[in-house]
Amino acid sequence: MAVKNFGQGTRCRPSRRHIGTLVSLLSVAGCGLHQSALNPAGRDATSISTLFWVMLAGAVVLWLLVNGAFFYMSRVRPGQFDQRYARHILIGGGIVLPVVVLTTLLVWGLSILPDPRRPGDGLVVRITGEQWWWRVEYWPEGAEDPILSANELRLPAGERTEIRLTSARVIHSFWVPALGGKMDMFPGRETMISLAPEKPGSYRGQCAEFCGASHAWMAFSAVVMDPGAFDTWLAAEAADATPPQDEAAVRGADLFLSEGCGACHTIRGTDAAGLVGPDLTHVGSRQTIGAGRLPATLDDIRLWLDHTEALKPEVKMPTYDLSPTELDDLAQYLEGLK
Amino acid sequence: MRRLLLTMAVLGGLGLAGAGAVVGLGLYNVSAQVGHLPGVSWVLHTTFRNSVRLRAPSMEDAPDLSDSDLIALGAGHYATACAMCHGTPATPRSATAQAMVPEPPAIAEAVEHWQPNELHWIVENGVKMTGMPAWPATGRGDEVWAVVAWLLAVQQNRAPVPPVDTSGADYCRTCHESPGGPVPRLDILAPAYIAAQLELYRTGSRPSGIMAQAASVVPRESFADLAAELGAKAADVAPDLPLTGEGAELASRGTRKVPACLSCHGDDRSKGPRLAGQPSPYLATQLRLWRDGTYTHDRLMVAAARDLSDADIEALSRYFGAQGE
Repeated sequence: MAVKNFGQGTRCRPSRRHIGTLVSLLSVAGCGLHQSALNPAGRDATSISTLFWVMLAGAVVLWLLVNGAFFYMSRVRPGQFDQRYARHILIGGGIVLPVVVLTTLLVWGLSILPDPRRPGDGLVVRITGEQWWWRVEYWPEGAEDPILSANELRLPAGERTEIRLTSARVIHSFWVPALGGKMDMFPGRETMISLAPEKPGSYRGQCAEFCGASHAWMAFSAVVMDPGAFDTWLAAEAADATPPQDEAAVRGADLFLSEGCGACHTIRGTDAAGLVGPDLTHVGSRQTIGAGRLPATLDDIRLWLDHTEALKPEVKMPTYDLSPTELDDLAQYLEGLK
Repeated sequence: MRRLLLTMAVLGGLGLAGAGAVVGLGLYNVSAQVGHLPGVSWVLHTTFRNSVRLRAPSMEDAPDLSDSDLIALGAGHYATACAMCHGTPATPRSATAQAMVPEPPAIAEAVEHWQPNELHWIVENGVKMTGMPAWPATGRGDEVWAVVAWLLAVQQNRAPVPPVDTSGADYCRTCHESPGGPVPRLDILAPAYIAAQLELYRTGSRPSGIMAQAASVVPRESFADLAAELGAKAADVAPDLPLTGEGAELASRGTRKVPACLSCHGDDRSKGPRLAGQPSPYLATQLRLWRDGTYTHDRLMVAAARDLSDADIEALSRYFGAQGE
């Protein structure tokens, strides 16, 4: 849509081209509301957004002042100024005004900037960046073992959660623009960002540091839930997988084990206990598969199994050589893992 | 100055014309009956000796060359790959082999005066324009040591005599009868798997000089029968592996970098061949070949072995190897 507008614009008269450009920019902004720092859904993102708008307004005012002065001196009142008057303008406008304005902005900006190391209210989520997906562990307060998940982050609204970040091999960066700032993830080191989401809904997170061939496909959903709903969800996430019921799914479960999927993936409650790839215990309840690559629908899971390496270049998971029926069964099983 | 240049140009032109005539008109006599011009043999042979000495590898990667399993494996390979030209300590070379130029020396004479690493270089690389072929697989210097071990035994006059009958299952049994060291057990492998591997060896997809040779001397049509005769019988059920000992955790669960072996190499329903009971040195070698990229014939194994450390390989091969004891 946006590209089309730009294309048409170049053939139009200048005034219409500008309108076209403006429309395109607005439509681009409109597309990404669930991954936009301008659409804050949490306290930290709100601070960042406020900071942005104030800075933008200030920049516009300063731009008008500077250009106004320039216009006044070159067009309205050209010619020489009195030396004392000129000196006052230079010292006042060139030194005093910037020092006062910048200092005020700096002090105010630092005061509202979210502190990524602010302690949380209890829940800790540990996320490890892998190539190219997210290993997610929920540590409720006092927990001895984590609740394992992957490629989706669920957070209770109105609470501050500590997100502790690290990486397996290369540098990644954790960023959910609608919830807060971004934080790099380093191998062998733990960084932290605490987030206090407020508006329930689904937002998009994205790796923000180039990390290899499929960097652009390393995304996830950040789902903010009412605290009650979150607790129910977390209890369900901690449980073992429900055994498959219908025939196709039962065949799919057998296939999952006989094809060796369990070498890399864990489905708790079955023999599959591998640690290399994402935990799939409740993969069917997630919004996306392949770390934000496709929606978690039956058709897309099947597509993923059939074309893994084409959908995600250089992914570690090999594309398996499965018959159409086998693909159906396996997709049925995985989609049913709610 | 100009005269000198002119003379050189004329001489060069004449030289090229002469060389062109030898090549184009067939003036040089390539008859092996006639042999080399005087002095040429000495030049070639001296070049050969010095070239080998310059390039021979270090002994760092050499296994224990007095290992009887290794010597037996070398003897089995020698029987079909080398004996036709060099004879054996028990059988002389054929009259035809002796008529080659250069003449392949009888094996006892051939191994004289060479160090083990020099023998390794010669067996792996072959020698140009002598009829001595290179090892029929690349990246498998590990296998060559088996032949070197047997050649050293020849030097010491204690070499086992290579088998004579090189057809049928008895030929396979030469090495697989009492497996150990680098040789796998066949009686625990599914016949279909064995037949598939023979085909991979034959085409070179699974690089192995020894098995490529073996798969090229038994008829392709007999692969299935041989596999059925030597492989696991349907009645054999693989016992459950005890989940204890070093390597058990790695085999059953894996790590964040290493997939769990038993997901594919577990019970009879598994995709991959059974590993429990295979000799540890065999498993360690195979895992290294997968990890280091010499083996590429199965994408799953390439992905699975990519991040194995030396310690992982050691632990896994010990774990699976211990199941056979």
